Amino acid sequence: MLAVKELCKSYATESALSNVSFSLNRGEVVALLGANGSGKTTTVQSICRLIEWDQGEIFIDNVDTRRSSAFLKQIGAVLGGCRNTNWRLTAKQNADYFARLRGFSGASIRQNIETLHTALGLDEHAKKEVMKLSTGNKQKAALLCALSYSPDFVLLDEPTLGLDFNTVNDLQRIIKDRAEVAEQGFLVTSHDLGFIDKICDRVVVLDHGKLLFEGSLDTLKAKLFKYELTIELNQPLEMTILNKLWTGRFDLHVDQRTIKVNYGSPDQSLMMLHYLHENNIQPVQLKIDSLSMEKAYQTLVQQKEVK
Amino acid sequence: MNIHLFVNELRLQWHEMRQYWFETFSSLFFLIGIFLGLFYGIKGFVLEQGDGQSLDGLVLGFLLWTFATGAYGSVTKSLIEDTQKGYIEQLFLCPNGFISLMLCRSLSENLVGLVMLTIIAYIVMAITGNWLTINFAYFYGILLLAAPSLVGFGLMISGLALLFKRVETVGAMLNLAFMGLVALDGLPLNIFTFLPFVPGASLARDVVLDQSALRLDYLLIVIANSLVYLTIGIYMFRAFEKQAKKRNLIGQY
Repeated sequence: MLAVKELCKSYATESALSNVSFSLNRGEVVALLGANGSGKTTTVQSICRLIEWDQGEIFIDNVDTRRSSAFLKQIGAVLGGCRNTNWRLTAKQNADYFARLRGFSGASIRQNIETLHTALGLDEHAKKEVMKLSTGNKQKAALLCALSYSPDFVLLDEPTLGLDFNTVNDLQRIIKDRAEVAEQGFLVTSHDLGFIDKICDRVVVLDHGKLLFEGSLDTLKAKLFKYELTIELNQPLEMTILNKLWTGRFDLHVDQRTIKVNYGSPDQSLMMLHYLHENNIQPVQLKIDSLSMEKAYQTLVQQKEVK
Repeated sequence: MNIHLFVNELRLQWHEMRQYWFETFSSLFFLIGIFLGLFYGIKGFVLEQGDGQSLDGLVLGFLLWTFATGAYGSVTKSLIEDTQKGYIEQLFLCPNGFISLMLCRSLSENLVGLVMLTIIAYIVMAITGNWLTINFAYFYGILLLAAPSLVGFGLMISGLALLFKRVETVGAMLNLAFMGLVALDGLPLNIFTFLPFVPGASLARDVVLDQSALRLDYLLIVIANSLVYLTIGIYMFRAFEKQAKKRNLIGQY
């Protein structure tokens, strides 16, 4: 198990991570979510020991990663921004190089690389150096390197950036397959909640370096608002009245004559609509939107609703 | 030092040299071109003075300088280029440690460098007609023993590169400074002995040009010089690496 315990990191006076704790088991896919600057990349880089953190510990199978760098044999990482391969080599040469760098070689590794190379759709680009590949294929080459020696834990920092729809689907399929069949644990940071939704067992949400949520995707979804009601009126309504019209869990924003409410269940809006009807208030605009997961997630972050 | 890492680095070099054969050959011809320009530039002047020994010294000095810049650059060039090529972070994920990796890379580059040096030496001697009687076993042995001082020096500069990134100007200046280093006489013990690579270059000159017997005390000075610079280099690189990791500077360029 990979366990991050009360990790703290700050730059000068600015806190990048504050008491962040979570775990990743073999065969599990965990998403690390958060906006830009939330601490996702800092967390991944800390696990890789590319950053010296201030407090806290990171354990792999109960061994403190600060004690020895041998744990790196168990880690595969695709770091952000296509910075993972030697651009002068082909994808296969890169995979072979990085597997050997971790101390893995031999027929089984070569076979694994061949299989993954084909599965990732890189065969048609076999003779091209990485610098001649498209962004998506560069990302695939990086993934090939990270998976080539079948590490126990794979860290993927924004793996979908710059990828087209088909490549994202391929990536989802490969991650799910490797987690299920090879029992590899994946920690995936992403802004792409659609991508996360299809592959992750658990979600860790960071906001400004703090743990906002850790749990199953279903629990996270249950916490997310499903609807957004927007009403524009000719005259503003008093907040005391508005607050009485809503029950249960909701988030109310009033900007002069525009009222915006996020809520979870359709019947929560009935009292509001009834009030408008009873008082013969004609809205200039009235609309109810079903929130996408991305939008709903944004509302969660805005609320800073701690787990 | 790890044999698997070393073999891996040799394979990497082979792949790069084979795939970029034009670059490999053009750099070889470039070095030979520089030397020929230098050689014929001063030949007339030297012959006027009837000092044939100076031309031999020039040939050997050039070979020593080529080796010295290669040995120093095996670490610094690697760190700077790999940062630009974009995979330096992945190299820091080496379970044996980044320094072990760099030492293996350096050894493999130096060995390949010696092969290139032999080719250059014969081409240069054939073109110029200045044939040196080189005992290559001694010559290479001395160079390999002296190389760690330059690798250590390279690690110091690489450590600075981790923090300050743009150190190419320092590197360019050092390449020129190496011309002076390989020309200085560091044996017997004097103030120049304490400069990196100077005792090694001096011993190589003694053995190759003067056909002197290899002295154990001189050899020990070369080894001590290498060990001191390599140790300081490793220590300084670790200190800079720690700072770079604290400030999240690894890989940023």
